[in-house]
Amino acid sequence: MPDNPYVPIPVRVQSVRVESDDRTLRTFDLAFGDDAEPFEYLPGQFCQLSILGKGEAAFGIASSPTEGESLRFTVNRVGTVTTALHYLKEGEELGLRGPLGNHYPVEKFKGQNVVLVGGGFAFTTLRSLATFLLANRSDYGDITVIYGARRPGLLLYRNELAEWEKRGDVKVHLTIDEPASGWDKAVGFVPTVTGKVRPSPKDAWAVVCGPPVMIKYTMPVLLDLGFAQDRVYTSLERRMKCGVGKCGRCNIGPKYVCTDGPVFSYAELASLPEGF
Amino acid sequence: MKAGKPQTPNPKSQSEQLRETARILLKEKKADLVIGYERGSSKRRARPVVIRDEKDVGRLIFDDTCGPSLVPFLRKTLRAAKDRNSKSQTPNPKAVTPLRVAVVAKGCDGRALVQQIAEGQLKRDQVVIVGVGCDGIADQRRGASGEKRAASCERCRYPNPPVYDVFVGEPVEVGTGDEFAGVAEFEKLASAERWAWFERELAKCIRCYACRNACPMCYCEECFVDQTKPLWLGKSAERPDTTLFHLVRALHSAGRCVDCGACERACPLGVRLALLNKRLEREVRERFGYTAGLSMEATPALATYSEEDKQEFML
Amino acid sequence: MSSSLRIAKPDLDELVSALTSRYRLFGPVDVDSATMLREVKSADELALGAALDGPVKAAFFPQTETLLTYDGTRSEAPPGRDKPTAVIGVRPCDARSLLLLDKVFGTGKYRDPLWQRRHDDSLVIGLGCSAPLETCFCNSMGSGPFNAEGSDIMLTDVGDAFVAESCTDKGERFLKTAYKSQVQRPSQADLDKAGQARSKALAVLAPAADYSGVKTALAKLWESALWDEIALGCLSCGACAYLCPTCHCFDVQDETVPGTQQGRRVRIWDTCQASLFTKEASGHNPRPGSKERMRQRVMHKFSYFADNFGETACVGCGRCIRLCPADFDVRLVLERVMAEDRRPKTGDRATKNEERGTKKDVRHAG
Repeated sequence: MPDNPYVPIPVRVQSVRVESDDRTLRTFDLAFGDDAEPFEYLPGQFCQLSILGKGEAAFGIASSPTEGESLRFTVNRVGTVTTALHYLKEGEELGLRGPLGNHYPVEKFKGQNVVLVGGGFAFTTLRSLATFLLANRSDYGDITVIYGARRPGLLLYRNELAEWEKRGDVKVHLTIDEPASGWDKAVGFVPTVTGKVRPSPKDAWAVVCGPPVMIKYTMPVLLDLGFAQDRVYTSLERRMKCGVGKCGRCNIGPKYVCTDGPVFSYAELASLPEGF
Repeated sequence: MKAGKPQTPNPKSQSEQLRETARILLKEKKADLVIGYERGSSKRRARPVVIRDEKDVGRLIFDDTCGPSLVPFLRKTLRAAKDRNSKSQTPNPKAVTPLRVAVVAKGCDGRALVQQIAEGQLKRDQVVIVGVGCDGIADQRRGASGEKRAASCERCRYPNPPVYDVFVGEPVEVGTGDEFAGVAEFEKLASAERWAWFERELAKCIRCYACRNACPMCYCEECFVDQTKPLWLGKSAERPDTTLFHLVRALHSAGRCVDCGACERACPLGVRLALLNKRLEREVRERFGYTAGLSMEATPALATYSEEDKQEFML
Repeated sequence: MSSSLRIAKPDLDELVSALTSRYRLFGPVDVDSATMLREVKSADELALGAALDGPVKAAFFPQTETLLTYDGTRSEAPPGRDKPTAVIGVRPCDARSLLLLDKVFGTGKYRDPLWQRRHDDSLVIGLGCSAPLETCFCNSMGSGPFNAEGSDIMLTDVGDAFVAESCTDKGERFLKTAYKSQVQRPSQADLDKAGQARSKALAVLAPAADYSGVKTALAKLWESALWDEIALGCLSCGACAYLCPTCHCFDVQDETVPGTQQGRRVRIWDTCQASLFTKEASGHNPRPGSKERMRQRVMHKFSYFADNFGETACVGCGRCIRLCPADFDVRLVLERVMAEDRRPKTGDRATKNEERGTKKDVRHAG
């Protein structure tokens, strides 16, 4: 982070592709600009992408630091900044501030099993985590990925998911909300499917990432399965501006999602007054 | 009490009458609650109070410190009740009797209620209007002597609400003279002087929106300042933005403002913005023969058109 | 070693000149019926007697501040100030607020360079309050009308002069270097008057209230219907936040000159009472109503800030009461909160509040 945490560093669109079948999601790979220092980061962290004249928005880093220097983000088009991002083409410049926030406690996961539960387009940082774990495969025990979306065309990184499914060292359970032709995998909401998969809590950690309602209903499933509250992690979102704990906007109780989070354990959340 | 006002209501007896009226309304279940004023952080300040129980009516007062318009608080209360009803466990929420709220209304507040009804924001049967004749609110800005009335009150021609369910105390005699005299005086200044005056006032504005939120007629769910598509103006407290904010808000209030002066009294820095509204009030009256807040049935001036409308500004 | 000088009121200009030659000086200035913080160049601009109708934080954390200027995709942080900042006529409440704001902007994982640029090397010349107002409650918030915390130099009005005392090394250095000759020591009469001013101020001020139970009470009142009731008395404007010495929330906006690619990214004071404050792009708003936003304001100032920085984010200046268009009184909120906590509880609400602490209610994560 430069001395002035408000000034973005220059980055360039290395590649961009449409991620979802309704074109609301695009995935960008950004390369650091010539004057920018690539930085180190860990899965779970986020960046503020900056379009001068439009503003900034926060995105979880979808790439893993094990994948090289470029950074991957998947952007859902909902407003001014994300629309401007969607218009960016290869080679075009934008700004970035990061890495911001805390990260998934990958150190704690070492030697243990990890269960990743994701929903919708919140799968970004779980891609980062899964890729990181798989790149350091021998450091971790069983890796289970449970990921669902409303329909197949809204699942992110479908090619990679297919590759993971082919690997023998990670269990992948994909699901969609309602039956669709051509879909022969699970059907059901993520919390329900999690209940069916019944991941074991023994020597295991869980990371849940998705829309607030999905997290709300998945947490109890994991706790009922026997996961301890301090072994279930999630990544929260709040409207952000400064991203560095000064502007006061993103707090949940005394914690700022941008600096104390966005990664929180369920145990921490249970002691915080505000919900999702 | 006030020099030169022939029919001055005795504030003590008016307050006592008000308390008795409120007590009866609650007792006879003509209202579920009464929104009025109570003594505030000092002897010369009043704040809104919601009375739900007969035993609390003693808190109600009415005097020249009762500056805020109670209409925004009425809206909040009705909204809160509506939200509660929609979340309630009642099998048929529509069968729940909507809240009947009694509200103490000075002349201007009464007009605001009428205007809100005319604009479809309020139903007549939702509110029990407890009219009070108002002698004017004291100008409490520093430098003003406590006896002087706020600018809007000095020129007020509607001290008694035009519509009410019950009237407390004696009606106040209507002031005479041209209510737009101050506007005319101001217009005598050269253009540069007028702009200089306006700039000086705006230099004090901190964009806190106290004026907007205190206004009985500013009820938009999304205010123009918060719109981003298009972005009408910036959010800063710098001159171009504050200028635009006040000009546009005045235009949005044209033909709707009842000159209660709550905006000017609300301003923590004493920006004298009511003059802007008064000028537009005259414009609407002259052009369209419309005065806000007098008729629940009349179509608001800027919500309609007539073939007689002057079009001299179009070439 | 603390110095004490006498500055006759007609000689205040000498102090002001000494300040303006080294600093960008801010002080209270009368603007019609209000007194606002403004940059000043001479003593006759100052309105030291009146209560300030805005926070001193504005000198270090301006309401509108450029974060960067841009041209196309290139951006630049604004150049640093050439002169440090000084403020004169700062009441003890405002002076203390600068220490609290420094915890936010000057500490933690990130430092705010804009704050530091103005706040580092700054000089605060405080002014003791001889005539506290009815709405002042600094003494209930760990301060007092002549409290020196946050001031480098403290001025006490003794009628025809000020007694100026240094409170910090920085203040001492300034007094020593700024007045090379004509230094007058305060007379015994001056010191007596100063003492009397202090006593009088304390006598005028309402006795300090005990708000020590507020934080623990707040922890139990999250679900309380009290917040609905309290929120009804608030217009949800931004006056209190913008007048408050310790509020620090801000918005960031990009402003482009129409027809060009040039513009600036500014930060602007914001308030948690604004309906859009936490509204997300999806439309979801974790604080959808004025109830949730009021609760946030009270809890941030009287609970969360203390969790993070060890102190309450309120200096008892009372501006939020005095200048609130609805005469909302935070002191009453604190008293209600403590009273609600002391009330014997029955029924579901009590059980839920208690269970919250034992994390039993796993389904109610939100």
